[in-house]
Amino acid sequence: MQANADIFTEPNELGKPLVYSVVFHATVVGLIFAAGTILSRGTGSGWGAGGGGEAMGVTMVSTVPLPAPQTETQNVLANDSKGLTKSQPEPKAMEQPDAIPIPDKTSKVKPKPVTTASKQKPAAQPAEETNEVPFGQGGPVSGPYGTFSSGGAKGGFGFQGGGGDFGSAYAWYVRVVQQKVSQNWLKYEIDPNIHQANRVYVQFDITRNGQPTNVQLEQSSGVPSLDQSAIRAIQRIDTFGPLPSDYSGSKVTVEFWFDFKR
Amino acid sequence: MHPVRQSFLVRRYSQNVNVADARRVEATASPRDAARIVFVFLLVVGFAVIGLGPSAAHAQDWIRTGTGLGVEKVRLAASDFKATTQDPNTPGLLKAFNDTLWNDLDNAGIFEMVSKSFYPTDVPGNPSEVHFDAWSTPPPNASMLAFGDFGATGNSLLVHGWLYDVKNVGSPQVLGKQYTDAATQDGARTIAHKFADEIIFRLGGGVPGIAESKIYFVSDRGGHKEIWAMDYDGSNQHQVTHIGSISLSPRISPDGTRLAFSSLTKTSWEIMVYSVELNRLVSFARNGGTNLSPTWAPDGARVAFSSSRGGESNIYIADATGGNLHRLTTGRGPDVGPTFNRKTGAQIAFVSGRTGLPQIYTMEADGTNVQRVTDQGYAVSPSWSPNGQFLALAWFRKYGPGAPGANDICLMDIASKQWVQLTHDGGRNDFPSWSPDGRHIVFQSSRSGSEQIWTMLADGTKVQQLTFSGRNSQPNWSWK
Repeated sequence: MQANADIFTEPNELGKPLVYSVVFHATVVGLIFAAGTILSRGTGSGWGAGGGGEAMGVTMVSTVPLPAPQTETQNVLANDSKGLTKSQPEPKAMEQPDAIPIPDKTSKVKPKPVTTASKQKPAAQPAEETNEVPFGQGGPVSGPYGTFSSGGAKGGFGFQGGGGDFGSAYAWYVRVVQQKVSQNWLKYEIDPNIHQANRVYVQFDITRNGQPTNVQLEQSSGVPSLDQSAIRAIQRIDTFGPLPSDYSGSKVTVEFWFDFKR
Repeated sequence: MHPVRQSFLVRRYSQNVNVADARRVEATASPRDAARIVFVFLLVVGFAVIGLGPSAAHAQDWIRTGTGLGVEKVRLAASDFKATTQDPNTPGLLKAFNDTLWNDLDNAGIFEMVSKSFYPTDVPGNPSEVHFDAWSTPPPNASMLAFGDFGATGNSLLVHGWLYDVKNVGSPQVLGKQYTDAATQDGARTIAHKFADEIIFRLGGGVPGIAESKIYFVSDRGGHKEIWAMDYDGSNQHQVTHIGSISLSPRISPDGTRLAFSSLTKTSWEIMVYSVELNRLVSFARNGGTNLSPTWAPDGARVAFSSSRGGESNIYIADATGGNLHRLTTGRGPDVGPTFNRKTGAQIAFVSGRTGLPQIYTMEADGTNVQRVTDQGYAVSPSWSPNGQFLALAWFRKYGPGAPGANDICLMDIASKQWVQLTHDGGRNDFPSWSPDGRHIVFQSSRSGSEQIWTMLADGTKVQQLTFSGRNSQPNWSWK
């Protein structure tokens, strides 16, 4: 057929689109590479180098604030804070000579027979003090820690200052602090969608005239509204009343934690 | 805190804004609020938690849950002081002293008083006589013990008072004080007030006691309605003004020297100011029209009141002599009964009938940002708490013919609009006014048959009648 023959006898008409096609594909490939280099310039070349001229500042911290443990214990002695108790070193047992020298027959002086104790008693372990408190007879806040609970939510606190015995020497003041903070913790400030949250730690100082200052979040709960309500609970307080008059320090540092559970 | 501001902040938090950022925003946005009142708040939460909305409290039965809501009260034992002299006056004075001390501590609202019948038979007169075990174990099971000795020689009293933490044998002393005063009933009572205030100040977290505060009120027992005054416990009632017409709504100034009230003259109701120190009226500008319900700003330099000098009753503010008058509210229904935010002085709550029945509104002290805080019923007599957190008000929530309930004192947390009903015992309860420590409320009630002055703790407990003769109304507690 004439038409068919015409098609096969016109090689130029096929060549032109072929050239377009090659140029087009080359352009696409080129664009891909170009895009790759342009877009990845920020990260690709900078990996591990910490940036060149416009470097990001990285501050090394001695401790990284790790999230609080998921399982929370109500044992006030086993929380994340430093306690008062010190572990006793294990009493060292006397080393037994494991070999008795064979008496030398040639020597003139006979070695005295070595007597070994058949059984050496280890030093008596100090008896563990019981920390149980009979119901209704709780004494003063023992040690620097105390807790309170209010409508399912809990709080606790520790005192630093006065050589570590502030809590035992001025238990009544500790109770005032505990009472005032729990009064001023307004739980309606917390996001109503939150039903349970990690423990939040807040630290503050009490000056001699009883004002809380230097309120800071020590460890966040991960729930901003809860952190905020804890900080506000302290900030809302005008005074805890002057520190005990016979207390010599100029301030007391208090660590307060809040457990929230709806 | 401003409600709108708060919801804005809450929204920001829920979007996981950086904590530090949010805190900075917060630190600039909110003034640090004052110390709060524990029981009231816990009560509010308690109601909210167990779903017993106070709206249900209009029914005959109502429940107040108290256990486990928070920190328990301190168990305080106050033993009778030991007489050290044989003076014939001593027993009478000692009894007045012991009774006053016990009442002050009992009324403070922060102690669980250990009944005297539980005490050991040998009461201590000085620290060496304290047997810690006898007090710290049941039956007294006290945490704190107030004791001391009491001596009357000639015409002077010498009193030593101690407060011991009996469960802390190592360092028990919290307080040790010595007082002297004249050997009279008043002297003995004054010493007891001072010692009680000292104990309350220590164990109550730095909030001064109210034993020396006064309550001003309106009484008709002299024939005319005049302003009267009494001690916080109802003793020493005496007439202050002698105007001879009708005087209403007394408000004492923050420094306790001047008394503002509204009084009927020949032509109109005018604001008058009476100097408690000079015992006479001092000048305050007359405005004409009906001028009612004055209130002092916390700085004592301004007075807000309602006046109809421009036709409709509106809130005006003036300085302490009535000069420099400004109008704060405009038209649309009567506005009366202003009260300042006692913590900041930056806001005013008032009653307005602009939507029909009277409702409580708040506004800034310059008249901007008017907001309604009560949603229904008939709400009057707002009184702002000393820490700025609460409004006490008289609220007939289900107002109308045949509606249940009565005119009761309610307490509203301004920021969250949560509220709780404090009175439940019938009668018409109105005109609440806060004590300086924010733990008590004085109010007028007709539950006993006639209008009388009553007080209660700010959680609705420990209701006490203070006045018994004549008709007494519109109490106002001094600022300190």
